[in-house]
Amino acid sequence: MFIAILAMLATGKYLDRTHRHGAPVLVGDVRGITAPNFELATLDGQRVKLSDYRGKAVLLNFWATWCGPCKVEMPWFVDLQKKYGNDGLVILGIAMDDSETPKIAQFASEMGVNYPVLLGTDKVSEAYGNVELLPTSFYIDREGKIVGKGEGLLGRNEIEQNVQKALASPVAGMNKAQASPTQAKGVKVPAIAQ
Amino acid sequence: MSRNLVYLLLAFVVTGVASSQEPGRKVPSVTLAPVGRVAIKAGSTANVELDFRIGSEFHINSNKPHSELLIPTAMKLNAAEPVNVASLKYPAGQDMSFPFAPDEKLSVYSGDFTITAVIKAPPKAANGTYPVTGELRFQACDRSACYPPRLIPVKFEVTVVGR
Repeated sequence: MFIAILAMLATGKYLDRTHRHGAPVLVGDVRGITAPNFELATLDGQRVKLSDYRGKAVLLNFWATWCGPCKVEMPWFVDLQKKYGNDGLVILGIAMDDSETPKIAQFASEMGVNYPVLLGTDKVSEAYGNVELLPTSFYIDREGKIVGKGEGLLGRNEIEQNVQKALASPVAGMNKAQASPTQAKGVKVPAIAQ
Repeated sequence: MSRNLVYLLLAFVVTGVASSQEPGRKVPSVTLAPVGRVAIKAGSTANVELDFRIGSEFHINSNKPHSELLIPTAMKLNAAEPVNVASLKYPAGQDMSFPFAPDEKLSVYSGDFTITAVIKAPPKAANGTYPVTGELRFQACDRSACYPPRLIPVKFEVTVVGR
């Protein structure tokens, strides 16, 4: 019976690794991979694409209102957004709730969130490697490459180090002062409180 | 086969299938122990104990978590007529603190817990075996992360006897 179960598991793993061929699968070490683009709605109904923030360092944080560990990180993100916003950091919170938008908005407001919160979808979760464990964060550099990933509650220092790593890489052919092409092109992105 | 061995095999399969999604990732599992034969006389009720086991290192919210943001563990059951589910009795949660909220007490289940389903057979119920099916919804966390709500099937049979 154990042999039969092991065979089933091995088959399952094989099928799982092959049925998604062709699409980027963000599992294992994801550093250096271009972050999959997406378009999601904000809490106030705007549409936002990840590519709108090219030239910025992005901290993409998957969270939910029912996730206790996620609540611990949020005040840190608020501080980091204040501290590094002028350097080009954008934090995007992707809410993976089934809750109604006003409830998510109320929660974010009570937590003092000063960065855009987007309404997550199964599609974006799948694009980022079937994000189930919350919180999960991806640290994306100014060129759109993933430079780090954190699963579960990390320490603030570790998060800040990843943010600094994402900020460190200049956009090719651009110095730090120029590295805000979305604003230069007049692309409308949700305002971020500093 | 002992109940513990059944739990072990079920947990092994659940863990293995889920780990095919992300190598090395531990995922929460809740398994239902096999439900023994349930016999009930027409016109009476029977308490059916449904024994669940939560994978080690994980906890799930109780049926009455202390915050409305948290997702309660809840079971839905449907019985084939003429039997019906009169009520469900959930155990009280255990108040626990976790590293991610050391100053907060959460009402949770961990390890084993039992939900009692009170099944009723009307006086005119014909002898026979009737399926009861449904699902348990739970949302699990460990000490540093949480997982989306999941459903597991619940199924057993009730035999009306002795008319």
